[in-house]
Amino acid sequence: MATIPIHYGLLLAALLFVVGLVGVLVRRNILFILMSIEIMLNAAGLAFVVGGARWGRADGQVMVIIILTVAAAEVAVGLALVLRFHGWFKSLDADRASEMRG
Amino acid sequence: MTGVELILLLPLIVLSGAAVAVMLAIAVRRNYLAAFLLTLLGFVLTIMAVALSPGGPQRNVTALFVFDDFARFFIGLITGAGLFVAVLAFDYFRQQRGQFEEFFIMLLGATFGCAVLVASRHFASLFLGLEILSVSLYAMIAYSRDREISTEAGLKYLILAGVSAAFLVFGMALVYAQTGALEFSRMPYITASPDEPLDIIVLAGFGMIIVGIGFKLALVPFHLWTPDVYQGAPAPVTAFIATASKGAVFALLLRLFAQTDVAFYPPLYVTFVILAIASMLFGSWLALLQNNMKRILAYSSIAHLGFLLVAFMGRGHIQSTAAAFYLTAYFVTTLGAFGIVSLLSPGERDAEWIEDYRGLFWRRPFVAVVFSVMIFSLAGIPLTGGFVGKVLVILAGEQAAQWALVVVLVTASAISLFYYVRVVGIMYMPAEAGGADRPALPGLSLQGGGALACLTGLLVLLGVYPGPFLDLVRDMVTTVYAGVLPR
Repeated sequence: MATIPIHYGLLLAALLFVVGLVGVLVRRNILFILMSIEIMLNAAGLAFVVGGARWGRADGQVMVIIILTVAAAEVAVGLALVLRFHGWFKSLDADRASEMRG
Repeated sequence: MTGVELILLLPLIVLSGAAVAVMLAIAVRRNYLAAFLLTLLGFVLTIMAVALSPGGPQRNVTALFVFDDFARFFIGLITGAGLFVAVLAFDYFRQQRGQFEEFFIMLLGATFGCAVLVASRHFASLFLGLEILSVSLYAMIAYSRDREISTEAGLKYLILAGVSAAFLVFGMALVYAQTGALEFSRMPYITASPDEPLDIIVLAGFGMIIVGIGFKLALVPFHLWTPDVYQGAPAPVTAFIATASKGAVFALLLRLFAQTDVAFYPPLYVTFVILAIASMLFGSWLALLQNNMKRILAYSSIAHLGFLLVAFMGRGHIQSTAAAFYLTAYFVTTLGAFGIVSLLSPGERDAEWIEDYRGLFWRRPFVAVVFSVMIFSLAGIPLTGGFVGKVLVILAGEQAAQWALVVVLVTASAISLFYYVRVVGIMYMPAEAGGADRPALPGLSLQGGGALACLTGLLVLLGVYPGPFLDLVRDMVTTVYAGVLPR
């Protein structure tokens, strides 16, 4: 099997990361913002997989599993907050969260 | 794992055990007082474990942790902050309707995350510690169910911390992909080959790590939602974010860049200088425009982190000592200031508007005097810990020949005097007649008053007689350079 050059993998990960970041900045729906953050985290996971493959060690893969676990915990709390938010504002528009300014 | 390693790990074991114990106690029987007392016991036992654990440099426990004196110092400091926050939160939530026992689990969990962070020597433990801290904080910030802004603040912090974690972990991945190193001690070391430029991917990786840390420390381009989070969160939680959370991340920054000197590679060094200058100036300037006490203190904490970065800009014993001393004085002061906001808050809303403090001296002389001492320390007036800290930071900056930073520091301090004096002044004005629309002040409880007296005493002690504490800090904190710098 031909090996893929390491830079291609990192480039793909960076692309995914940018897609996620643009999503966070552009999207106004909180659910989509949370999903964009997940994309950013998974982009980092992909970069760890590439690194692990390059060095032939397992610690990159271990980091991916840690990232997945942590992302799941974050989303669990995050969705609870989104529910509360919907209860208050009857909408998922992040721009409605503008009680505080300055 | 050997017996010695288990003993070294004891502070972490006790903290996490306390969180589980509180959870089980709540499952058996709901009792606010019991949950609070168990939490206090957990914090006190942790501090004892830290004090009794064998110190010294380079006490590695597995590939993940190191419990040297540096880690012991900061775990002790953070646990102390957690203890005070528990006392404040006990009084604060008692006045609100709802069930607040679980808050103490979150508090113990967040403190545990901070402790993991300052003891980590590996990217995995760094990330885990940071996320344990963040996830606990989401829940703590949004804890006041019947307040709209609490939910809003929680959500904003969720997005902010999520993005910052993504930046941090992507930076780690880049560094790992290029160097194969996850342990700090195996990271690149530029002074070993000063002529060779740093690899662009490694540079990008460290840049993204700095962005992630910048969000956590609320340095200026990354500070946008910080004041909102500070304002919306319950006051004791704000105290925790401003002290323990920032302190832990700063300690981590010190350790990461003590083990690898990449921060002194010119592009990154310039980035840090810009962050420091922007934080000092914008923090001080924007605080002038606020009418909300929590927002004033938020901007003031942004400026203070800028001051701390000045001490970070050099590499050596003077700088690390100055940073640790400044951080301690900042902890005491900020806990006191937010503690007063918290203790003066009646059940319906926080005592956050500056008008709430008009004539405070005539109604609550003790609280007003304590608040004045705290504000003086934030401003860096002599005879307070803040003054000694600021002098040390200026000395450290001078030692590193960072004249621009020192000049900006002095300028920003002068600007900040305006709003500090405004806050103090309004407390000593006569209370206007017909101020009946103001909510009644809650009574000061024994433990709340005791905590305030304790913090004030500490602050004055640090300002009047800093010698012994300074020696302690120097001996403990410089172990972070063990095996890196010649003494």
